[in-house]
Amino acid sequence: MRRSFSVVSLLVMFLLPQNVQAQGDFDVRQHYVKHEYMVPMRDGVKLFTAVYVPKDTSKQYPIMMMRTPYSVGPYGADKYRATLGPSKLFDRDGYIFVHQDIRGKFMSEGRYAYHAPIKREKKTNKDTDHSTDTYDTIEWLLANIRHHNGRVGIWGISYPGFLAALSLVDSHPALKAVSPQAPMGDTFIGDDFHHNGAFFLAHAFGWLAGTAPARSNREAATSRRAGFDYGTPDGYRFFLELGPLSNVESRYFQGAVPTWTEFMQHGTYDEYWRSRNVPQHMNRVKPAVMTVAGWFDSEDPWGAANIYRSVESKNPGVFNMIVWGPWLHGGWARMDGDTLGYARFGSKTSLWYREQVELKFFRSLLKDGRTPDLPETWAFMTGGNEWRSFSAWPPREAAARPLYLHPDGLASFSPPASSAGAFREFVSDPAKPVPFTAVTTTRMGHLFMVEDQRFASTRPDVLVYESDVLDRDITIAGPIEVTLHVSTSGTDCDWIVKLIDVFPGDAPDPEPNPAGVKMGHFQMLIGAEVMRSKFRNSLEHPEPMKPGEVTKIVYNIPDKFHRFRKGHRIMVQIQSTWFPLVDRNPGTFTDIYKASAADFRPTTQRVYSGGTARSSLKLLVLD
Amino acid sequence: MQRSFFTLLLLAIALIHAHGQDSLFVRQHYMKQEHRIVMRDGAELFTVVYIPRDNSEQHPIMLTRTPYSVGPYGPENYLRFLSNLQRKYFERNYIMVYQDVRGRFMSGGEFVNVRPYIPNKKSNKDIDETTDTYDTVDWLVKNIPNNNGRVGVKGISYPGFYTTMATIDAHPAVKATSPQAPVSKWMAGDDFFHNGAFLVSHAFDFYVRFGWPRPAPTTMDFRPFDPGTPDGYQFYMDLGPLSNANTLYMKDSVAFWNDIMKHGKWDAFWEARDVFPHVKNLKPATLVVGGWFDAENLYGALNLYQNIEQKNKNHENMLVMGPWAHGWWAANAVDSLGPIKFGMNLSDFFADSLELPFFEHHLRGKAKPSIAEATVFETGANRWRRFDTWPPKNVRTRQLYFRENGRLSFAHPEPGLDEYDEYWNDPAKPVPYTNEITRWYNPAFMLEDQRFAARRPDVLVYTTDPLEEDLTIAGPITADLIVSTSGSDCDWIVKVIDVFPNDTPDPATYPFKAKFGGYQMLVRGDVLRGKFRNSLANPASFIPDTLTKVSFVLQDAFHTFKKGHRIMVQIQSSWFPLVDRNPGKFLDIYSARESDYQATRQRVYRTPINPSFLRLMVLE
Repeated sequence: MRRSFSVVSLLVMFLLPQNVQAQGDFDVRQHYVKHEYMVPMRDGVKLFTAVYVPKDTSKQYPIMMMRTPYSVGPYGADKYRATLGPSKLFDRDGYIFVHQDIRGKFMSEGRYAYHAPIKREKKTNKDTDHSTDTYDTIEWLLANIRHHNGRVGIWGISYPGFLAALSLVDSHPALKAVSPQAPMGDTFIGDDFHHNGAFFLAHAFGWLAGTAPARSNREAATSRRAGFDYGTPDGYRFFLELGPLSNVESRYFQGAVPTWTEFMQHGTYDEYWRSRNVPQHMNRVKPAVMTVAGWFDSEDPWGAANIYRSVESKNPGVFNMIVWGPWLHGGWARMDGDTLGYARFGSKTSLWYREQVELKFFRSLLKDGRTPDLPETWAFMTGGNEWRSFSAWPPREAAARPLYLHPDGLASFSPPASSAGAFREFVSDPAKPVPFTAVTTTRMGHLFMVEDQRFASTRPDVLVYESDVLDRDITIAGPIEVTLHVSTSGTDCDWIVKLIDVFPGDAPDPEPNPAGVKMGHFQMLIGAEVMRSKFRNSLEHPEPMKPGEVTKIVYNIPDKFHRFRKGHRIMVQIQSTWFPLVDRNPGTFTDIYKASAADFRPTTQRVYSGGTARSSLKLLVLD
Repeated sequence: MQRSFFTLLLLAIALIHAHGQDSLFVRQHYMKQEHRIVMRDGAELFTVVYIPRDNSEQHPIMLTRTPYSVGPYGPENYLRFLSNLQRKYFERNYIMVYQDVRGRFMSGGEFVNVRPYIPNKKSNKDIDETTDTYDTVDWLVKNIPNNNGRVGVKGISYPGFYTTMATIDAHPAVKATSPQAPVSKWMAGDDFFHNGAFLVSHAFDFYVRFGWPRPAPTTMDFRPFDPGTPDGYQFYMDLGPLSNANTLYMKDSVAFWNDIMKHGKWDAFWEARDVFPHVKNLKPATLVVGGWFDAENLYGALNLYQNIEQKNKNHENMLVMGPWAHGWWAANAVDSLGPIKFGMNLSDFFADSLELPFFEHHLRGKAKPSIAEATVFETGANRWRRFDTWPPKNVRTRQLYFRENGRLSFAHPEPGLDEYDEYWNDPAKPVPYTNEITRWYNPAFMLEDQRFAARRPDVLVYTTDPLEEDLTIAGPITADLIVSTSGSDCDWIVKVIDVFPNDTPDPATYPFKAKFGGYQMLVRGDVLRGKFRNSLANPASFIPDTLTKVSFVLQDAFHTFKKGHRIMVQIQSSWFPLVDRNPGKFLDIYSARESDYQATRQRVYRTPINPSFLRLMVLE
């Protein structure tokens, strides 16, 4: 999912990929005819649907559909998109492509619900949702579009990926292949707007300001909203000067962004959030499913992993696979995938995926009617720079090895010898939060996921634990379970744990190197996650911390597949702010969405390492 | 230019075997000679002389003495690279003379860092840099054919020191000198020391290459050094206490480093190396040149000018201060530093309007140019100004007070409950001086965006409201602080910053780094090592948690904070690795152990009775 200013860039990136996807100069206008339809749903609401049909009518074609809140434009039967399918390879291969504006967005009728509750029981024709709209659209297409072969596939990235996942709920029997790509799965647990209940401020504010305002009139339907004007390029300053979250409503949104207003009323994992969780509904799945995920997806890392896992566990007979690549959000569709930030992957991972995985998956299922010859998991190993296939994810052969955080700042696979009570401490001051990036920006962006963390490690409010120089490669595969024994002087706080690959001092700089980056001792972020302390035991029932009491907190950093190479070091950083990625925790057990400026106080944070109160990261290590 | 002048010199030396168009130009118009000029004590100084082939008239001599090599060596090897400024002298048929100073590269004798001046010389064995210059000039005017009997001397940085020395007890043929960014008073403010604080990265970087013994004349007198990382912060953190520099790297072979380590306060050793007491009875005219963003010898330029003014009546002495990093006035077509553009070619202006006319007048009798007493660049407004004094006469001292809630105001504090701001300074996590990952010091750090620091809990930030009209400061800035520390020593770093309005357009040429909306441009920053607050010679400990007055002078600035901008001041107690870490204990830091370093709680008071403020000289 993307933020306001990026609605336009999203259209460029995902939906008009002609600028970036140079896979030949195939001109879709020569090979496809475009039609525009208002497709009626069961409740009478009509959805705007663009259908591109191959001019060659000597054959029958599968239908490839993508539904979106971001516009199916350009509008007009004579105006074509440059790329119709998930990649140009599909355009050449020949499918009937269907693009649909979802209910309430752009040229479609009805009321947009950013993320309506998912109801399995439908009582009347008025009970519509994304699943029924998908079902009704397929039904209409099969009856009204000629030359189809009776098989339908659906793909989508981000919000459209979420829509693709919802197509699996009570799916139409003609739907044979679905690829949810970076789908949002639960925006309280781990996607987009919250991670473990901590609010992802910069992203939520930016995205909702641009995409979620209530639609006022039909005239605006084909136009895109201008980006929010922050009045400064400096998001850190903007959000700090914003003060408590309640000021967003009073200063900026004033009720015009209903989703924001709702978020601020639901500060715990209540029925509002539970009813919107996608993975729980991934039962009774019939189509084949291929989930696509990026190791460095800043927006929907949780949904991809957990939709895959849910389909896997609830539907033993269904073809279900996952592809993990070294990508930012949607990077497999719009980039070559050979670099990200200053990370180098040694090959064009996105091109490989589009040719060897994505096209194969859909073509096999939709054209040949066969189960594709693809593994359970394709995963790209960062650091080692190779694709590996696995029959399970995480790999069965991965062994759990705790990386212990020692009181002297060492990170080691050996436990600390120190006695009980050893700790390191820092003061977390909400007036001086740790930046999540060294870049001056109002956006969340993507590259902070692989950014050099040296800007943070020099701070007194960031604890740094570092291994000795590795004498052999260490390859990790799977989620990383963090176990902390901590205390705070307040009654609530956040914990951010970052796993970092420290390059050797003589690591070569990139060539060319226009930004002058120095790779020697570069601290590349591999994975990170936040835990809002009050949610440590339950997102539904927050509990205060007891000041000064050692408390065990366990949570996961999302899946990684990374090789820390010989000569590198493994670093762990712990901090209690990550701003403005995550809003500031006042340090007081309260409903943060209603906190006032006076509620925010510095707290003394301690991380314990000795005795039974050990802190560690459980790495799943492949030998 | 992206590196220090010293780095450029190394680079120039590394390029010795290349040939280029400049070499051809020099070869066509000049003859090169190499001489070993005998000094009064018998030492021979290696001297390269480029003599114009044009002998239709007599030519003046321009002399530069340097510890950084006069290469390329060999009479057949001509200069391969001329800066724009240097080329102008060659085009004007100056006799160009370059000399390795005593004990460096191909010269005989023993090298002594900033060799002490001997006021009362008793014999021919009493030599110093003034006598070496005198003897050299004397030999040149007598032996180089076709010279007009007039000699100019100039040099930047260490050669600036030799230029000052050429001005003292000068040979009568020396008519004019231009000490540029001159090394003048170590320990106090030049190069490796500011107010007693040790600029560790600059000192180490320099001496680990420059400071090794030279048992015999050589054409390569630098030793390469690989710190094993491009990350200076990491390198100096890993280094640990300063004593490790000798133990791990220099191993008792870099004598001057050990001298520094032995002289942790102002004493006879440093006093002997202070040039200022000796800049009296000067005969040659002087043009002192410096850069507002010179991290090495801003102090030397400003204070040499003032000392010459004070100690010499009816003497032609002028000051040029531009918006330059160290030595950048001699570089080609400089118009910016980091992301900040100054809007003009500063190099041509300096060459054509200042330095060349100055020497052409004194050495060739050309018409006296109208060079002002002080030609100074006004940053912020980005224009050259001419004054008949520096600082200008029409300045008024105004006090800018630290106030509650991070405010900065010309209004005196009012009574309130809130008496101070505090932070913890942890020598294990010092505040970086730059946001760049760099091995050398980052030459643009002196105007770098300070947002990276403002966000830290160990940096206090005070900001004015947006200014309702332009405000120009001209001259030194004094920090008057009432502070306390929980330790017995600590550093105080005060940074004066120009905060740009939020809607300032980004620079066109610095796409990767700079966002100008809210940019916090460092205008002037400086450090005081707390124990030297009263005297560099008599360090005094702090009584823990006791209010203490700390007053020190930041170097001069000439800057206009434009209407709509804000003035910000940041206070911190580390500035790493520009300045070594203060252990937070009153002791000889040069022999401190790792276990001596402790975190301290630092407080800045701001009550009506104990106000903390800056004294600014505001131009009216």
